[in-house]
Amino acid sequence: MLRLGSEPENMREMELDDIFISRLQLLIIMTKSYLSKYPLGNYREHSILENAEFVKVDAVGLAEDIAFFGWDENSQDGLKFEPVFYQRVKLLAIMAEAFAKGHSLEEHKQEALEKNLNKICETITFSKTISDMQFLKVA
Amino acid sequence: MREATIIANVKIAVVDEDVIVRDFIAGTLMYSVNREILTFDNGFDAWISFEESGFPDMIIADVNLQKIDGLALVPKVKEASPRTVVVLFSDLPGNEIKAKEQGSDAFLAKPFGVNELFNLVQTFVVEQDPAGDSSTPD
Repeated sequence: MLRLGSEPENMREMELDDIFISRLQLLIIMTKSYLSKYPLGNYREHSILENAEFVKVDAVGLAEDIAFFGWDENSQDGLKFEPVFYQRVKLLAIMAEAFAKGHSLEEHKQEALEKNLNKICETITFSKTISDMQFLKVA
Repeated sequence: MREATIIANVKIAVVDEDVIVRDFIAGTLMYSVNREILTFDNGFDAWISFEESGFPDMIIADVNLQKIDGLALVPKVKEASPRTVVVLFSDLPGNEIKAKEQGSDAFLAKPFGVNELFNLVQTFVVEQDPAGDSSTPD
């Protein structure tokens, strides 16, 4: 039996912060795949739109929490990124919605998208690259 | 390098009563395979659907389900459709050995993320095509 996920001592119920980070990682993969010109398809477009909406709403909510409660970089209470991080995430989600709806992004917008993506990736890290996921190259 | 091909018209089901987790899993899988993903919030509705409409290629289910739980679902599915891959997930370490005893093909320990779901797709849904042709359904 294949075993994946957390080590036994770290197992626990998934919280909203876990889902937010996972969905953000998925959105980054979706965007990198788009920039790498991997094929889309009806269901992929649908899943990008759904994921972008979730991330956008959550990012706005988390940014509002920081605006209301203040930002404490030493806080251990939930996700506490710098406020600008959430603005970048919201922008990423909006741009993802645009390309998933079929709006072609001009070259300078693609450059802006990539720059924004790189800034976000400075904050969260990955253990895989999209080239590891061969199935994303087929639709 | 060989190119990846996805099982033709692959059918995947996700069973979990937690809509937040269920939608995350289903959305990630939908993006991975570019196919509709079946979703159910309890084991009984899933089982009835499988009996009426056919068994999927892969089922990803929480251990803790109403009516028919994940552990009970595994042997029922394996008896009716041995080719179906069944993956159970849980937040309780003790459920891992139970999942193995029931015949589960994989166990996902919570919390898990995108990489683990991609790993499932890579392991159970992607076929290595010796001819190097990519599937282009839809």
